[in-house]
Amino acid sequence: MVDDPDVGREDAAHLEGCADCQTLFKSISDDALSVASMLAVPDARVDVTRGYDRVRSARASSPRLGFRFPALMPRSRPMVLALAATFAAIAILAVVAQDFKTNIQPNSVTPVPITVADMQALTLLGNYGTVTWTKPPNLQVVSSAADAASVAGGMQPPVVTNLPKGVFPNITYAAMPQAVAVFTFSSDKAAAAAGQQGKTLPKMPAGMDGAKLTVTVGPAVGEIFGDLKQGSSASDISLPLIVGKSAAPTATSTQVTVKQMEDVILAQPGISPELKAAIKAIGNPSSTLPIPIPVAFTTSRTVTVQGVQGVALGDNTGVGSGVVWVKNGVVYAVAGPIKQSDAIDIANNLK
Amino acid sequence: MNLGARRMSNVRADDEAFEALFRSEYARVVGIANRVLADSHEAEDVAQDVFIDFHRLHSASADYAPAWLHRAAAHASLNRLRGARRRLRREVAQAAEEGERTMDPQKQVEVDEDRRRVREALARLAPKPAAVLVLRASGLSYAEVAGALGVGIGQIGTMLRRAEVALRKEVTRGTSD
Repeated sequence: MVDDPDVGREDAAHLEGCADCQTLFKSISDDALSVASMLAVPDARVDVTRGYDRVRSARASSPRLGFRFPALMPRSRPMVLALAATFAAIAILAVVAQDFKTNIQPNSVTPVPITVADMQALTLLGNYGTVTWTKPPNLQVVSSAADAASVAGGMQPPVVTNLPKGVFPNITYAAMPQAVAVFTFSSDKAAAAAGQQGKTLPKMPAGMDGAKLTVTVGPAVGEIFGDLKQGSSASDISLPLIVGKSAAPTATSTQVTVKQMEDVILAQPGISPELKAAIKAIGNPSSTLPIPIPVAFTTSRTVTVQGVQGVALGDNTGVGSGVVWVKNGVVYAVAGPIKQSDAIDIANNLK
Repeated sequence: MNLGARRMSNVRADDEAFEALFRSEYARVVGIANRVLADSHEAEDVAQDVFIDFHRLHSASADYAPAWLHRAAAHASLNRLRGARRRLRREVAQAAEEGERTMDPQKQVEVDEDRRRVREALARLAPKPAAVLVLRASGLSYAEVAGALGVGIGQIGTMLRRAEVALRKEVTRGTSD
């Protein structure tokens, strides 16, 4: 390091009195000079103001995204798509499994196998009513933990105490204030949707038309470890590690019972018998958050994390894994291109 | 302050932070790209792309902003070099024409040929060794190189030594081919 301008005085003093190190230094120094000479080029003539003007006009025509997921390596795409589908489905399935008449506060998680067909069928929910965001989701990328906590209504980001080797240590913080969606069931829309598929609606319970389902998600806050600027320019960088937490989703309903709403949703064409059976098998729907696991892409098992039961996804190949658990009304998740054992280790040491 | 006014104020602060970041780091980012490409015009193009990408993804007040820019400049320019090997002879000649017009013509030919061989060798190196060489040769300290590449500072000396050996080997291989 003696060629480093930041080198300490102790190293320099040692070098002055050590013949062996002087010989080694000369060899290293000659090599470094030789390579520096190879890489020498005429200095670039830089016009900072003109450069800034060009960048500013390009920024105006290409507004910032706020947050962008990195380009994915081909071998990782199925896993990431599976995880994305998983998290997208959590709110829907949570709603299916809970008692809509009461504010729910799940305190444990359970894996539920889900297929691509199930996902497609569940996205048709919009054909059965109207979804209105009374507080739209507003994910923000910020530069500090304090800013993240400020966005998330005071919720502090989790602190990772042991990062596995190979994870890019730069942290980007993301935070989301509480978001609230209201789904209003419409018998007319449901009948029209069924008609388009050549089917007739099953018999509806009284009060189903106009029944409202209010789902609250967040606030949430997380840390993203990795180089978010990925793409063709860098072949040696990988997917980020995401460590996040969110207030457990809550749901309330009007006019109908949980059993009635569940029957209507599960009666949609395309929902697999496996998913129906899994949802119906959840022992205590008022306290259990179902974690949908895409059956074709990954495996899951229950694990003990921070003294509570959680679900671990993926495997120990390092391609991708994650852990999800609920503690004191907060859902935690660790996911990334790491071994499952590393994910569990991070989870257990989270502060 | 209402929400709209606060947002406007945040946007203004972010713009100011970005301009300050640009003015403090642009020359260095161009320098890294120029070290790889040996073409100051192309280096400015790369640097501007890097800043635009940064703006789209990150806050200019992020602690890691300089490290991110240095790393992105190295990777983006190396990637461009790898994709442009066939054009290398022309580009290097162009850089020489602009930078060293006073040089003796015979000497100029030799310099051009050396520069072309070194860039071809650099393009054949693995991304990390190539990046560590370029960043160090661009004047970054060990700590700055370590920050840009996301490795411990204690690894930089070894990485540099190995990368230097690898580059010389590739240059020799290119000469003997």
